[in-house]
This record gives sequence, structure tokens and C-alpha cells, in this order.
Amino acid sequence: MADKRLTRRECLTRGAGAVLAAGAAAVGGYLLYDPEGDAGLLKLSDSNARLNNYFAEVDFPASNPRVSIATGDERRIEQMVRAAVGGLDPSLGIKRFVVKDDVVLIKPNVGFDRPPYLGATTHPEVLRAVIRLCKEAGARKIIITDNPIESPRACFAKSGIRQVAEAEGAIIVLPERGRFETLTFRDREPDWRKGEALGRWPILYEPLAEATKVIGVAPIKDHNLCSASMNLKNWYGLLGGRRNLFHQVIHNIVSDLALMMSPTLVIADATRVMMRNGPTGGRVTDVIPGGKLGRAAVIASVDPVACDAWCYQHLLGRDPAKLAYLKLAHEKIQDRIAAGHRRFGQFSWKIYERQGLIVTTSV
Amino acid sequence: MSFTHSEKERPRAAHFRDSWRNWTRITTVRVIVQTVMFGLFLAFVFLTTFANLDRLPGLRCWVSKMLEIDPLVAVAAAITTHTIYKGLLWSLIILIPTLFLGRFFCNWICPYGTLHQFVGWLFRGAGTEDGARQDSCTSGTFRPPRGADATAGGAPAVTELLQRHPNRYRRYQHVKYYILVAMLVAAAFGTLQIGLLDPICLFYRSMTGVVVPALNMPAPSLLGDYRFHQGAWLIGFLLFGLVAMNLVYPRFFCRVLCPLGALLGLLSRFAWWRIERDPNKCNNCGRCLLHCEAACDPHARLRKAECFVCFNCIEDCPEGALRFALFPAKEHEVTGPDAARRKFIFAGVTGLLFYPFARSSGRVTRDFSSKLIRPPGAVEELEFLERCIKCDQCIRVCPTNAIQPDWFESGLEGLWSPVLNFRMGHCQLHCTACGQVCPTGAIQRISVEEKLGLGEYAERGPIKLGTAHIDMGRCLPHGKNIPCVVCEEVCPTSPKAIYGERVIRTARDGRQIELTIPKVDIDRCIGCGICERECPVVGDRRAIYVTAEGETRSRDYPERDRNRSVRPCK
Repeated sequence: MADKRLTRRECLTRGAGAVLAAGAAAVGGYLLYDPEGDAGLLKLSDSNARLNNYFAEVDFPASNPRVSIATGDERRIEQMVRAAVGGLDPSLGIKRFVVKDDVVLIKPNVGFDRPPYLGATTHPEVLRAVIRLCKEAGARKIIITDNPIESPRACFAKSGIRQVAEAEGAIIVLPERGRFETLTFRDREPDWRKGEALGRWPILYEPLAEATKVIGVAPIKDHNLCSASMNLKNWYGLLGGRRNLFHQVIHNIVSDLALMMSPTLVIADATRVMMRNGPTGGRVTDVIPGGKLGRAAVIASVDPVACDAWCYQHLLGRDPAKLAYLKLAHEKIQDRIAAGHRRFGQFSWKIYERQGLIVTTSV
Repeated sequence: MSFTHSEKERPRAAHFRDSWRNWTRITTVRVIVQTVMFGLFLAFVFLTTFANLDRLPGLRCWVSKMLEIDPLVAVAAAITTHTIYKGLLWSLIILIPTLFLGRFFCNWICPYGTLHQFVGWLFRGAGTEDGARQDSCTSGTFRPPRGADATAGGAPAVTELLQRHPNRYRRYQHVKYYILVAMLVAAAFGTLQIGLLDPICLFYRSMTGVVVPALNMPAPSLLGDYRFHQGAWLIGFLLFGLVAMNLVYPRFFCRVLCPLGALLGLLSRFAWWRIERDPNKCNNCGRCLLHCEAACDPHARLRKAECFVCFNCIEDCPEGALRFALFPAKEHEVTGPDAARRKFIFAGVTGLLFYPFARSSGRVTRDFSSKLIRPPGAVEELEFLERCIKCDQCIRVCPTNAIQPDWFESGLEGLWSPVLNFRMGHCQLHCTACGQVCPTGAIQRISVEEKLGLGEYAERGPIKLGTAHIDMGRCLPHGKNIPCVVCEEVCPTSPKAIYGERVIRTARDGRQIELTIPKVDIDRCIGCGICERECPVVGDRRAIYVTAEGETRSRDYPERDRNRSVRPCK
């Protein structure tokens, strides 16, 4: 073996192999060279995605009622939902808001692992009625989503939302990794002293990007920190990340949510109003059907701020003038309207009442 | 069984007959049974999630079935608790046939054994020195391994070849009996440690701790949510290490370490049937060793306690000298493990010493860890250590990932037993899934009513896992004059156990500010830990945290000096 002579062919192939490998190493090193040392670091996604104004395409006459209340018996939830939505537009009803081939995102409050009768989550029958209305209007796809505090699967199951969605053919989108995207809500860092909270923040964007219309369906609840969780607070369930940091500036964040989300329609579920121990509740005695109204109710509105003010006064029996986030939301939305956005955001429901924009139906 | 060229040219009918014979061979049937059992095991593992059990309540009695048929779990738990808990009676369907047929479980049922056999088969093929050596054993071209002195010219004697074969019986195989004896003696004192090495517990734990989370990394939501488990690296390392051993020592775990195999080996002493060699037909070719799974010496006196009843030797014997015989001659076998009695005594002493050594640390009595929060329905700690087999089914099923494999919080004994970590998740109010899947009753099968103290349990009150405490220096309103109280918001009891105290404080700049300061009502707190999980003050310790103090399960054991600093709820 030792005296075997190296052939020319073998010399060339072996030599070339080493040269090629050395060359590849040099080229690879050059290509991957990072003189600043930061090319390989994680970068925040530079997404320019913005949330749509889901109200922009609704041709809503200015003279139509903006808050529509339907009261009735607890067993007639579907009729109440129909009457409440019908009150906003007697001629077209839901078709004013949802048109054929729309993808509708319905955002109930599924925040906790609680059965429906405790009022901590949206009543599944209210959701069922809303899904049916959307289907009747010709919606191509109906998505239900929320980012609960507790285990999403358990919350959707226990609240009865999953069962209703499956029975009615709506699609549940669970808040899983990869469905969130960091969006820019302010180009600069939010100034907490000026009532701001959101700058860049991850939200449950995947279903929102697909949707053409967004309907919020929120239960009316007492809240330990911001006094009440209603239509505006419901959008909190779209936030991802360590959103519990915002509790230090709770009124900033709730009013920023009013700015962030321009829904097609909001529907307040006052079939069971949680009067105390909110937002979790836990006892049957914590909830009263219709709250201070004394009768179960469903309220539909195109103005989430005014709707919240109305609900705060009539359902929880508290003074909306003292609810800081309503005032902040009103101011923020006025800025938007001045910038040409199609929005409603009236802090005082009394103004609407004077203009005859609040209607009440009894079922 | 490779087909040679000439076989392909045979008439169609003969070919068909041969392939039919292949399918009806007992080893083929065995492989099918093993595959089905392995598939069932995987199915049970993947189905053990809160969502599945919620949707299909009938699954509850199935997902832990592999653990329930495990005779070692039943026997050891019967030693510690003097009872057979619910489904553990199923172990008789393995135990009784073993008394007649031998250790068939190891090569027919055991999914962990199947894993080892499969990996060994996959990586121990031709092309390696080992594989070549195995093949050459019978063809006369055998080369002795390095280090052995090769006799110049002429093949070594067959007996010498057989001495060196990797499937020969080796003395290390005693070790598993010592492990078993040590563990059972320890069990007699009330510390159940079989779960550390019981193959079913070990495999379930490995699946929960590392395999399923690893599969979830690239495909979230396919198998449930993304999971984290403290100390998972060791669980993974153990799985990998034991499986990798097959490359150097075939079925190392099954032959050398497995305490369940040891128990079944002892039980097979009375078996009516076993592999029997006819010395008149046998020509000492040694082919029977080629695929012997158990290293039980089918070419000589059969080691009855070792044999897995895999039937490979019968299949491989060209002379038809081997058969599965009823009541064969006693002198052709080595009946029991031929381990020295003194070593058994030594193993017993090891188990006996383990108890005082482990308990002397005081970890389960005086110096209990306040972090040792057990799942809802868990029995008192001393009983818990008698029952928990560390299979980690509860960890797999927990919907919030709160239940974690313990990392020495309860001392040496509790390694990998379930403990709640509220930085990972919280105990969901209307969930009792962990108790539903627990095969040994370490976590009792409680209802939601019992957990929450509703209905007939109203008088006794809810099950309390521990008590929340506020770190006043870290808490934003308490220590920093910043409004927060997320803890109050998420507190699930009614009335809330965390309540706000309205105070007026003077800020640094002299302004009067109104703050809500959170306080814990220890009579209401159930220790669910959602406050700890949601607290915005992250870091090594949240501003509110739960400790085991006041837990319901040790309420009736004040003499054990555990958890008395906070009065238990009524």
C-alpha cells in the first residue's frame, strides 16, 4: 500500500476537493459577514398593516336611530336581537350593515371559563341570533374570535359559544401563535399622561384582516377597575402580548380601543347584567336580567361610545359623566371625525335622545 | 428473509403459498399486535387533552388504560396503600396470562419495548461491525472483536462465537431484579418510586415532557397548545439516552433496567409454556441467537425469567429444534433469575435505607416547600407519595400548562410528580381533568361541585390549593403608587378574594392621589393562582404569588406540622 504511487487523476481530484472546500468556506464567510454585528438580530416586523374602518362602507343615513333598545322576556332573545337591529334601520334591518358575500367577524366576550347563566360572557343565544341575522343578509363566512384570559378552548366550551357557533356554521378562530401581528396605532411612543396607551402592539389580526365587517357582541358587566366592561372594553379581547400592563392606565386603553376599532355595529347583551363582583362574577345573585332596567334587553348601536353611556346609566345605574374612558373616547373619535373618518362617538346619550336618535322597542 | 433470485422464478402458486405463510407466521402476528398496541398508546397520549375529554367524556376511562394494565403500578401501589385503586384491577389481564405464558407483555404489549426493538432493528443492520458479526456467526467467517486473540488460521469454535454474541445472556441482566426489590422495599415504607423506571410511566412522562412539545414547536395547534415543562431536558435526555443504548447494547433498558420486566420475570416462574430446545435436533449453529430479543439463551438452557416470548428463535431455527412447549422438562431451563441471594438482600437494604435518607431531609414534614402546590383533589402529601407514579398524565391534560413535573420541591421522592407553577398557568375554576385521568388516585376523581364547594359540598367549602400573598414592595399600588389591581379583576371567586382598599396617598410631587390597594381575604382565597399568572410585575417573583399554606388537603393533619401558618378555609 505504502509504495503505491499517486496517480495523476487521484492527485487532481483530491487536490481539487480541498481547493473547492476552501473556496466554499471563503465565499460562505464573505456572504455571511456582518461587520456591524446586528444583521442577525431579531427585528420587529415592519408591518404597515392598519385596521380597517369597518363602518366606512356602511351607507348609514344620518337621520336613522343610532341606539336601538329592545326589551323583552329572557326567553325571547332572538326576537329582541332582531328588534334591536331592526330599530336602527326599519327598512333594511341587518342588510343595511351586512351585504352579500361579506366576511363577518363577530367578537363576543368569552373572557372567562364560566357558564352562560353567570353573565361573565356573551349569552350564546344572543350570539346565535346575530349569526342567523348575518347569514340571512348573505354573509359568505362568519368568524367568531376572542382572546380569553383563561384557556381559550375551555372558555369557548364552557360559555356555550363553541356549541352555538358549530350549530350555526360559524367558524371559531382560537387565539393561537401566528395569528397575532404587531400593528402600529401611533407612530410614536404613547404618552400615558396624555391619555394614550397604544403604540405598537400585537393584536389578533388574522381574522380581522380577512373580515369585511366587524360586529361586537358584549355583555354589560361591572368591572373592578374601570367600573364597567361594555362595548368598548370588549375590544380588549383582540389584544395580545402582556396586555395586563394596561391596567395601570385603564381609561387610556379603553378609550384607545374606541379609537383602534371602528366596528360595523355593536350589540350590547343585557339579558343578564353583572351588577357586582365583575368582571368575573361567579354567583347567580351577581346578575340581574336587564340590570336596573328591570327587564332583559338587547341594545344595537352604530355609536359604541353613546351606547356604553346609555348602558352605564340605564343598566348599571351609574353616572356616565364620571366614567373617564367615555370622555376620552369621545375626544379621540372627534379628532378622527375631523380627519375625515366615518365614525360616531358621542359621549352623551342625552344629545341623541333630544335629536330622537334613540328608539325603544318592546318584544 | 430475503428472496433470492431463484425464488422469484418459482411458479406463482408456490410464491403465493410462501407469502401467505409469511403472513400467518406467529412473529408477523406479533409485529401486528405490537404495532396496534404502540398505536393505541400514541392515540391515548395525543387524546389526553382537556378539549378532547370535554368533548368525549367517554375517553376518560381509556386514556390512562396503558398505565392501568401495568402490573407493577398495581402491585407497588397495593404495597404502599394496601388497596387496588379503581382501574388498576385491569392489571390482572396482564398478570394472570403471564403466570401461564411468561413475559409476553415485554415483546407483545409494552409500547416502550416496541420502541426499543424498533430503534434497534432500524440502526443495527448490516454494514456495521456489529451487524456483520451477527451475520458471520453462522457462516463461519466470524472475526473475533478487537482485543480478543484470533487464532491464526482456522475458524474459532462455535461455542466461542456464541460466548461473544450481543444476544447472549449477560450478568448485567440481574440489575433489574435488584432495582425492583429496592423499589418494592421502599414502597413498603410508603414511598412509591417505581414510576422513575417503570416503562409505561417513563414513556408517558417522556411523551408529555418532551415529545409532544417538540412536535408542537413546528406545528402549533395540531396537538394542542404550546407547552413548557420545567426540567424537561432531563426527561428528554433520559429518553434519548436509553433509546440510544440500543445501538451498543440491544434492548439495554428491557434486559437490564426494567423493573416491570423483572416483576414479570419473577411471575413467569410458574409458566406452563416456554420455549423448549430439542438437543437431539439441535446442531449448535447458534442461529437462534441472531434475533433473540431477550438474551435468554435459547441455544442452551433457557433462562425462563428473561424470555420475552418473541418467537424469533423458533422462526430462525433451520432444524426445527425449538418449539413453544407445554410443561417442558425442568432441567432444560434456568427457572428463576440466578442472582445471588446476598445481592437481593443488599438491594432490599438499599430500598430500606432510601426511606430514612429521603425523609430525613424533612421536605415533606417540617421544612415543606411553600411552592409545593398539588393539583386540586390531591390527597395529603404523605399519602400522595404513596400513590403518585409520576406518569405525568395530569400534566399532559392540564389545559393551562400550570401543572409541572416537580423539580425537587418535595425532596428527592417527589421528582417529576405534579406540582403547580402559576407563572406557567393557573388552576382553571371549572376544570377537574387532572383527577379524571390519574390512574392511582393520587389526585382524586372529584367533581366540579366538590372542587368549588357547591351543592352538597357547600358546608365543607371549596378545595383550597394554597393562599395568595402580596409582596408589598413589588406591588405597583402598594409600593409604587401606580394604579393596577389586575389581580382583583381576574380573581374568580364571588365575592372576590382579592378586594380593593381605597386610599388617598400623597404622591412625590405633593398631589393627592386616589389608589386602590389590593388585599387578600384568606377565607375566600382558593389558591387558583390566576392572580399570580396575570400579575404585570414579572420577574423572578410576581408581586402577588400563591403558596401552599392553608391548602385543604393537609387541613386534617395538623400533627404533621404542614401549612399551618395560614388558617385553612372552612
